[in-house]
Amino acid sequence: MTRSQSATMTDSEDPILSVRDLQTVFYTDNETVRAVDSISFDVGRGETVGIVGESGSGKSVTARSIMGLIESPGKVLPESSISFAGRELTDLSAEQYQSVRGSGIGMVFQDPQQSLNPVYTVGNQIRESLKINRDITGEEAVEEAMRLLQAVGIPDAKRRLDEYPNQFSGGMRQRAVIAMMLACDPDFLICDEPTTALDVTIQAQILDLLKELQEERGLSILFITHDMGVIADIADRVNVMYAGQIVEKAAVEDLFSNPQHPYTKALLRSIPGEHSRADGLETIEGQVPTPNEPADHCRFAPRCPKSFGACDKVPPQHVSVGDSEGHTASCLLYPDDQSETARVETHIEKESERTEEQP
Amino acid sequence: MIFGITLSFLILYLGPIDPVGSILGRQATAADIRQLRIELNYIDAAGNPVPLWEQYFRVVGDLLMLDFGESWTIQRETPVTELIIDRMPATLWLGFWSVVIALGVGIPLGLYAGLRANTFRDYASSGFGIIWRAMPNFWLAVIISGLITAGGALGFYRTAIVETQVSGTPDALNNLFTNVDIFTGVPYLELLSIPVPNPGPWFVATKWILPAALVLGSSSMGNEVRIGRTAVLESINSKYVETAKAKGLSSRRIIGKHVGRNAVIPLLPVIMGEFYLLIGGSVLVEAVFGINGLGNLFFNAVLGPDIPLVMALVFIFIMIQILFNISQDLLYTYIDPRINLGESE
Repeated sequence: MTRSQSATMTDSEDPILSVRDLQTVFYTDNETVRAVDSISFDVGRGETVGIVGESGSGKSVTARSIMGLIESPGKVLPESSISFAGRELTDLSAEQYQSVRGSGIGMVFQDPQQSLNPVYTVGNQIRESLKINRDITGEEAVEEAMRLLQAVGIPDAKRRLDEYPNQFSGGMRQRAVIAMMLACDPDFLICDEPTTALDVTIQAQILDLLKELQEERGLSILFITHDMGVIADIADRVNVMYAGQIVEKAAVEDLFSNPQHPYTKALLRSIPGEHSRADGLETIEGQVPTPNEPADHCRFAPRCPKSFGACDKVPPQHVSVGDSEGHTASCLLYPDDQSETARVETHIEKESERTEEQP
Repeated sequence: MIFGITLSFLILYLGPIDPVGSILGRQATAADIRQLRIELNYIDAAGNPVPLWEQYFRVVGDLLMLDFGESWTIQRETPVTELIIDRMPATLWLGFWSVVIALGVGIPLGLYAGLRANTFRDYASSGFGIIWRAMPNFWLAVIISGLITAGGALGFYRTAIVETQVSGTPDALNNLFTNVDIFTGVPYLELLSIPVPNPGPWFVATKWILPAALVLGSSSMGNEVRIGRTAVLESINSKYVETAKAKGLSSRRIIGKHVGRNAVIPLLPVIMGEFYLLIGGSVLVEAVFGINGLGNLFFNAVLGPDIPLVMALVFIFIMIQILFNISQDLLYTYIDPRINLGESE
């Protein structure tokens, strides 16, 4: 087992989704924004992987890149690789991609108020999923749609099918969206901040629902959020994103008990409730930079309390940290058993290895 | 409606107009004038003026009973209803084609522009729409009729395929349909016949009306391009379209089902407003192209002054407007479930 040595290692056995060097850029008039800059991660079967980060760190762009929903002026660069169930998605044509969406990968969006088309009944929209992805129509589709609504915990499902989205409350609407996605019978579900627009009680209900469904159906979930509490609740493993890059990967227990990257540490320290009131709330000074220049340095360096000279010159690579397998961070402070110069050398070496690997 | 009718009544009965004078001409004798005044209910048999409120209730009462009376000046003693029915086809024909042009060109172009937002094709179609929107009818009507009448740059239009007039009202309009007994031999239905279009007159009448219809439809067409474009853009960038994509729907299905119906919502008032052209026609366009339709009739009735005819036309126009407004509201509740007519949930 040498896998903990490499940054491009496999995070889990037999991953259903494997993202390598994903780069999504947006070309605007005066700059090129590298919204997602060379990230790699895996999601195993039946596993929930979280992506956590601030607004603008590239979480949602990652999700849309996987779904093939990036539109002009955005572009997934050709070096990127997204492999889903052994199939390379970045090479697919628009029509082929369409067949992956829904029945392969489903996605639940942030705002349930707007994810449902206001002019069609909920039942109509669920039946549409059934028809397109599973070729179920007519009476059978009505039955199945009803079962799905019941499965996501909507009472009085039969009547609810004939109602319009505006007659549903926020939490019920998100349940309906989940039912609609389940109707596609996906193996993999991307949840892009599905609970952000909901209040805390409903949030907990939706999270429980997702866990339940995952157990029943063996779903793999990629869960995107900015909420550390939600991540702790639902994820098995976590990727922490900052300015388009993944700065730390760890199993969820390791991340919270033993964070390594200065950003993760600062992030966890800024959660209210962990400290006494007298200390006040710790914050990270400054703003997330717009990643509009190539990654030839550490993007967190300007805000990092532990940055040193090399941070502005050497792009950090993922190295194994902590005690557990699969825990990596991309920071020049690691591996922490080496001297500063040796550490910098290690990162430079890894970077050249990585760039050579690419065609 | 009452307000509109009252206003027209006040203008017509209080205004400085003298229908009696224009009916009888200058050589009228005092006795004739007196006789006619009684006939028209301006004065009673004893020679006293009829009070205004009495005239008002008589006029409005007749209108509400759909008794439109007889024409005063345009065609003396012809029932108003007959006059209107006589002129109706030309206006309907004009309105029909202007709506066809506006809907058939404006909406597809608007959708097209919206689906290709911020490309050259979008700018071209939006620009096309704005140009047609910007040209005022009275100007465009004169320019187009100038271009296609003899000697104009587009003079060939008159002689192309079939020689037709481009102004006036063609006889072809009366021969659009032939009643054909298609139920011959079927018991009970034998007496029913249905109108079947005649291709020849149909073509002639269409060719004749197109320039005028283009003028009349031009501004609605431009409106539809603009509003259609915005409506599509708004819908296509919405979250439910993204969700629909995530469901694995084809873009054809997304545009047809999810974008289409939402885009119709803002377009509906424009479309309904346009159907009003069908009847209301345009006084101006009919005058320039010399079409004997309702618009022209209305214009002449006001000049007449043919008070019963004016009142009847105002009444009909208002009724139609109200009818369209109501049907627009009904259509809204059908298209957009968020709007309902107040029945409890």
